[in-house]
Amino acid sequence: MPIVELHNIRKVYDSKVAVEGLTLAIEPGTMFGLLGPNGSGKTSSIRMMIGMTVPDSGSVQLFDEPFRRSQLHRIGYLPEERGLYKKMKVIDQLTFLGCLHGLSESVARKRAKEWCERLQIKEALPKKTEELSKGMQQKIQFIAALLHEPELIIMDEPFTGLDPVNASLLMDTLMGLRSQGRTILFSTHRMDQVEKFCDGIALISRGRLVLSGSMRAIKSRYPRNHVQVAFTGNDAFLRDDAIVESKPFSGGVDLLLSSEAAAQKVLASAVTQGTIINRFEVHEPSLEEIFIEEVKKSFGETEAVEA
Amino acid sequence: MHNVWLIAKREYLERIRTKAFIIGTVVIPLVMGALVFGVGLLAAHTKSQSHIAVVTTDATFGADLKQKLESGKSTNMRVDVFSPSDAVRSSLNAQMKDKDGTLVGYLWVTPATIPGARPNYTYRARSAGDIATQNALQDAIQTVTTREQLVAHGLSNSDVDTLTTSISLDTSATGNTQAAFFTAYILFFLMYMVILLYGMNTARSIIEEKSSRIFEVLLATIKPEELLAGKIIGVGAVGLSQIGVWMLAIFVIANSHLAGSLGSTHAPVSLAQIGFFVLYFIFGFLIYSSMAAALGAMTNSEQELQQLNMLLVIPLVFCFAMLSVIIPAPDSTLAQVVSLVPFFSPLLMDMRISLTQVPPWQIWLSFGLMSLTIAAILWFSSRIYRIGILMYGKKPNLPEIFRWLKYS
Repeated sequence: MPIVELHNIRKVYDSKVAVEGLTLAIEPGTMFGLLGPNGSGKTSSIRMMIGMTVPDSGSVQLFDEPFRRSQLHRIGYLPEERGLYKKMKVIDQLTFLGCLHGLSESVARKRAKEWCERLQIKEALPKKTEELSKGMQQKIQFIAALLHEPELIIMDEPFTGLDPVNASLLMDTLMGLRSQGRTILFSTHRMDQVEKFCDGIALISRGRLVLSGSMRAIKSRYPRNHVQVAFTGNDAFLRDDAIVESKPFSGGVDLLLSSEAAAQKVLASAVTQGTIINRFEVHEPSLEEIFIEEVKKSFGETEAVEA
Repeated sequence: MHNVWLIAKREYLERIRTKAFIIGTVVIPLVMGALVFGVGLLAAHTKSQSHIAVVTTDATFGADLKQKLESGKSTNMRVDVFSPSDAVRSSLNAQMKDKDGTLVGYLWVTPATIPGARPNYTYRARSAGDIATQNALQDAIQTVTTREQLVAHGLSNSDVDTLTTSISLDTSATGNTQAAFFTAYILFFLMYMVILLYGMNTARSIIEEKSSRIFEVLLATIKPEELLAGKIIGVGAVGLSQIGVWMLAIFVIANSHLAGSLGSTHAPVSLAQIGFFVLYFIFGFLIYSSMAAALGAMTNSEQELQQLNMLLVIPLVFCFAMLSVIIPAPDSTLAQVVSLVPFFSPLLMDMRISLTQVPPWQIWLSFGLMSLTIAAILWFSSRIYRIGILMYGKKPNLPEIFRWLKYS
């Protein structure tokens, strides 16, 4: 039974279509990645999920019920841009936001302290927000979304502006929450994280769903026709009809082949031509490659229709 | 309701801790009090103490004038009397040029050539701007010559005293009208200031939340209407606290013996006036702050707000213009009509209440009309606000704003 269910939602701002016929389901206890290029409708979709804006048509179901404002106490939300009172002290700020989510003041204060300790920013507690670095502010924002122990955590680009150490600290925290049974939805551009941690993804482009499902199912849809070759010497084997695209890198080349079977042929021809092969790896496309391919396709189609 | 309370509480506590609030609340009434009573006390107790010389052939006139100027009701001068001669004139001229000299001027009386005509009074002053001394001198000459003439015509000294005593109106039954007018004017100005200040504060606070994008976090739990209500209540409560302190200060000062020393037996501010001031502030604030909230939600920065705040300032400035109608005739038809217009009532009706006896039905009507206006503006503003706060970037044009009103 999905915890979030969007059914055929559509949102138009003036003349611009932000989201068009989006249908999406997120299973409880999973980590879900919402992907898409800039301006593709990720933030618009998230805003409709939490009732900040209302879809023009279609329905939103949360916790297996039609959307109600009272469900918002069960959701933690981290907006794309930092939204904190600049002049307010961190501890007061977190307490205030916790109270808005229905906590009592003392509980909110206690949890705020615990979380700051956990994310190694205890020293920020008595400071004003404007005195903190961007990364620290992002952590405060992160804590604000989690104080009331929500079942569903929705984060819009949680890792932008964080250094790798802090990004992985937050990622580990999210993984910990998932193992406690919470559901996490986040949007991002960072494919490596999605690839490693997400159970399911949805890729949207130009307001439409391009791709969705579990990570494994999606990947299996694509042929294993990507080859990475590290070699020295003769590169004559690269002039092969089976090679659709080649991208050289230092000491080797990334190849896209016409079919899975072509890989063995390319390898054989390289060996016969006396090229020294250091590494020859056939792999499925990375999420990044799928992303780029699908987004290009979505733009191409619409342009073709418009033309 | 709980959320409205939380928002209002945060707004109130954060604002009341700022330096601007503390300075505005404590320092402004102190400075105003000091100014009002300082000027009053100085005017009442300062006597002219200039040193002048009088040159005349008429010794009686010289002595009378000296007596009048040295121990008069409002003067405490030092007067030297001389008989005219060239030596005296050059000595006086020299004294006037002496930088360390105390002499500020001398009066030279030249007897009239025609008998019975007035002598010619020539006054040479060190500074042409020393009007106080000149006036004092003029008054004294007038009094002394009148008295001499009356005595010459056979009146006794006591009769002359009775005749020349100045008359003062007894206003103790209704209070000093000058003081009442002054108070009304100060209250009017204060009202203008607080309504504009706190209206703009509401708009600024919305823009601040908008530019810091805190809205997105808040709207994930509460409704825009709750946010708007909490904000207006919070900012309004700050305004009320401030004028509460001010009104208390005014009331205390007005009823202290300091006020009595200004010669008024009635306190210039009544409790009713203070009550009406607070009530009209609440209604005026609600009208203007809900307008300001819509402006704040429509704009993205303080600069953009500056361009639109004329919408708030124009009706308030119009009230200033109407003062010239209200003050001389607070019961005229025009005054009655404009003071009932909801946008002007907080300033003009309150002013009329201070100045005259306003019929109670007019007061009730003004509150009724203001309540309706507030409801209408809030309906309008909350719609603008709900959409506007999530719009960044370009400023909406009028057709867009009308479209916003249709969204529900």
